[in-house]
Amino acid sequence: MTTEKKYIHSDRMISLIAENYRLIQVMSRFGIPMGFGDKTVSEVCSDAGVDTDTFLAVVNFIIDGFSSFNADTDVSVQSLLHFLRQSHIYFLQYCLPAIRLKLLDSIRMRPTDISFLILKLFDEYVQEVSTHMNYEDETVFKYVQSILNGMPQPNYKINTYSEHHDQVGSKLKELKSIIIKYCPADAHSNQLNDALYDIYRCEEELESHCRIEDCILVPAIMRLEERHA
Amino acid sequence: MARDEKIHIVIAESSPVLAAGFSQCMRRLPGINVNITEVKNPSDLETCVKADTPDILLVNPTFGGAFNPESIKDSASDSDFKIAAIEIVKLGKQVSALYDGVISVIDDIDTITAKIKSLCSTSKETSEEKENLSQREKEIISLVVKGLTNQEIADKLFLSIHTVITHRRNIARKLEIHSATGLTIYAIVNKIVDLSEIKL
Repeated sequence: MTTEKKYIHSDRMISLIAENYRLIQVMSRFGIPMGFGDKTVSEVCSDAGVDTDTFLAVVNFIIDGFSSFNADTDVSVQSLLHFLRQSHIYFLQYCLPAIRLKLLDSIRMRPTDISFLILKLFDEYVQEVSTHMNYEDETVFKYVQSILNGMPQPNYKINTYSEHHDQVGSKLKELKSIIIKYCPADAHSNQLNDALYDIYRCEEELESHCRIEDCILVPAIMRLEERHA
Repeated sequence: MARDEKIHIVIAESSPVLAAGFSQCMRRLPGINVNITEVKNPSDLETCVKADTPDILLVNPTFGGAFNPESIKDSASDSDFKIAAIEIVKLGKQVSALYDGVISVIDDIDTITAKIKSLCSTSKETSEEKENLSQREKEIISLVVKGLTNQEIADKLFLSIHTVITHRRNIARKLEIHSATGLTIYAIVNKIVDLSEIKL
């Protein structure tokens, strides 16, 4: 069965970005720098040492979901792992701390009202995301790496992970509706809008990130496990 | 189904024109918030329902040759979802009997909206129920945010711990707030407790 993919090897990299700016994030997490001129996707990928099929699988999945994704694509697990690890670093070390600063900037912190509770709520959420991602880094990805090294760790299967993989993105929904509904009236509106826009975007990115783990990483690992069985 | 809760619909249709049409149409239904995944071959459908159980699977009965609604539920991680058939030409009784519902290409928006709502209507909660907390529930919130455990609340109010847990579940559903800090914010803003009573 032929699968008509949205983007293919011979497309120019600039046209991908021009049509969907969210792919800028994907490029940097794969470690692909800008400044690639008019090169095609496969040229840019091979210059950066990234597996083109994996890059395109992620790109097409992000844009179209399953409609232009073929679950049997033989992705490079090593490239995918690098991408997912970089995504964790982005969320934990850049995206969430930046949102926290914006919240601090927009809401006047006073011990006499709920302002500090909003910050506490946010910090608790970040703690949860951090626990979730640390588990993936320390347990899941290490296990995957052990398979790649040809010596799979016993007593672990990717199923354990896929059955307990909770959606950290959806919890941001509760956080932002609490901020919108109960935020003190004297918050600086432009800064607060800015923080909220970032939260919405972060939520979309986290959801997309979790779906890549569920729909691309997990099936790829299951295939590897079968080969080793 | 709470109003702002998203209904996850998977559309399994190999014709891109029909898939795009259904997908657009579902997004336009008034009062219904959807999250659509389109799949165009059976192996992707299997991966998709395994990864993330939908609320409704909308499928063409000719999908992948002849579609078998029973076997897809077997391969899903959670079989608790509804399957509706996409009707392009009138479906026979035997075929439509295999599905929880049928959505036809000639249905109008109101008909489709009603069908989707009835497919999700297993959860009996209605939006009117939201926000209206009973006196007892408010009492429980005030104790939760003061830091009491479920057992302590049960003892104080002469209730069983199960009743307290049920109340807490209802509170979380009505307010759509699941964390203790979120509940504290709600309780202070709505003057159920005073900030000075909170132990932090």
